[in-house]
Amino acid sequence: MKPQVAFFDFTSCEGCQLNKLNFENDLLDILKHVDIVEFREAMDDKADHYDIAFIEGSITSPSCVERIHDIRRRSDILVALGSCAVNGGVNAMKNLHPIDEVRETVYGDDKYLFATLPAMAVSSVVKVDYEVRGCPMTQQDFLKLLIALVLGKQPPKYGSPVCVECKLKENECLYNRGMVCLGPITRGGCDAVCPSFGQFCTGCRGILDNPNIDGMLEVMTSHGISLDEAKKRMLLYNSNEVQL
Amino acid sequence: MECFSLLRSDVPALIDHLRDFGEVIAPHGKGDVSYSFEVVRDSSDVVLDYNRTLLPLKKMFLPPVEKLMGFSLKNESFEQVEVAIAPRVFFGVHSYEMQSILRLDHSMLSGSAESNYFKRRQSSRFLGISFEPDEFHFSESVGIVIEEMEGFDLFLNEVDGDFQLYVLTDNGQEMLNGFDKINLTEPEIVEGRHFKKKIRYHYNRLPRVFQYAYHSDVWADVASRCVGCGACTLTCPTCFCFDVHDHVEVTAEDGMRQRSWDSCMLSTFAEVAGGENFREKTINRTRHRLFRKFKYITDEEGLPWCVGCGRCTAFCPAGISMPDIVNELIQEDEKAQYHRTVRV
Repeated sequence: MKPQVAFFDFTSCEGCQLNKLNFENDLLDILKHVDIVEFREAMDDKADHYDIAFIEGSITSPSCVERIHDIRRRSDILVALGSCAVNGGVNAMKNLHPIDEVRETVYGDDKYLFATLPAMAVSSVVKVDYEVRGCPMTQQDFLKLLIALVLGKQPPKYGSPVCVECKLKENECLYNRGMVCLGPITRGGCDAVCPSFGQFCTGCRGILDNPNIDGMLEVMTSHGISLDEAKKRMLLYNSNEVQL
Repeated sequence: MECFSLLRSDVPALIDHLRDFGEVIAPHGKGDVSYSFEVVRDSSDVVLDYNRTLLPLKKMFLPPVEKLMGFSLKNESFEQVEVAIAPRVFFGVHSYEMQSILRLDHSMLSGSAESNYFKRRQSSRFLGISFEPDEFHFSESVGIVIEEMEGFDLFLNEVDGDFQLYVLTDNGQEMLNGFDKINLTEPEIVEGRHFKKKIRYHYNRLPRVFQYAYHSDVWADVASRCVGCGACTLTCPTCFCFDVHDHVEVTAEDGMRQRSWDSCMLSTFAEVAGGENFREKTINRTRHRLFRKFKYITDEEGLPWCVGCGRCTAFCPAGISMPDIVNELIQEDEKAQYHRTVRV
């Protein structure tokens, strides 16, 4: 029997889910390997058990916590999809401010009607088996993971920075083009897609393990931006990972 | 060795002439301020005055990403990729770059030869060119002068804006047959091309400095600035480490085995099964990088495995300078020697 696969969305823009609907050429191949049993954006069906559950979005409210526990109980493998699910993503910027202040800004006088939590990675709440990083996650990256799981292999892990892929493509360094780029400390695997098209890296795939944060701030400020601005750029996708 | 004069304006004609001997690969402008070795489509695009290319010429012999074989899970079969031997002419190569290829030859061909490298290396011809050292070149400090002609078939030395063309091998002679825009002349020595960056000691004293450098304080200082991006090693012309990965197509039936450049400056490089890491900290990796260039291979071969191209320094986002590190080690060694000396 083909693996039963489901997709769930939590706090996010749903861009990663939408990205999967754009597979077009590969969609029929994917459906040869798996049965999609739950996918709110594409279908109405529901199932009791999932071989692989893909989770998009971060956990930001008590009801999210309840729901993710329920999904985890019914899933054999759970995969976090995209930067929100993997480390909180841009949502986690709210964690930099007092939670009451955030609630008041968003809901005004009705703030007490809406329970909220700091934006958390899915792995902060339940066990996550695998992750697909990026904002949005790329189709290529998703397919690599899916094929590996279907074949019963370990999906690829990315432990080297974006700079590696940039160098292998012989891209001119964006620092030489007057930009400030987070490539040196950002997890690669994206094929350096942004720098290859002249856009500096914003760190959407998360910071590497054991990064030299002080060294990176020094690099950024020595290229003409303020320490404050450098920190903000670093926190954009990584408020939960970087302590500044 | 014959020497001919050649006008700068006639260089494109020479490049067109050389295309009879195979694909010509030469430096081209890339991006805003960079250069890269590319196959010549139009000889007027070739850049004669350049500081250094982003990737070394190594990429033409050991490609950054290379398919080694294709396989089919369905048929349980595989097919190795055959590399064709095609004649190629490398035009406008700096002396340090040629020396790096000779060092790579040693790394890739001694013992059991790496067959793909060997095939690409065969029937390649090299035309060198002189250059004006910038603030990063330091090849003289590792024993390679601008006019070092070892390995070249032809060499262009710039004299007062035009060139003197040296014929160094029979292949070089053959390549000039039928080219009439050159005139026999007396070789001239060009004065005034100086290296701005230097290592303070002659390179034959460096093994001794490195003998005592393992526990130096310099490494911690470098590691505090290094962001671990791997640019230094990925652009190094004598680095040859690679990683091998398998990729399976979305059909889950076919796939390929690929090799891509790796870097010992990456934290994952020395990670092994079970999660152990032999060089877990940046300080271990920084030291390893320099020891690979000035100690480990040097002890065996008697030559520094750094050719002084300055890429690791020029392309480091943190501005870490290889010759500066060596000079700091020298300074530290001098201090230590002073204390080690028994004075009576």
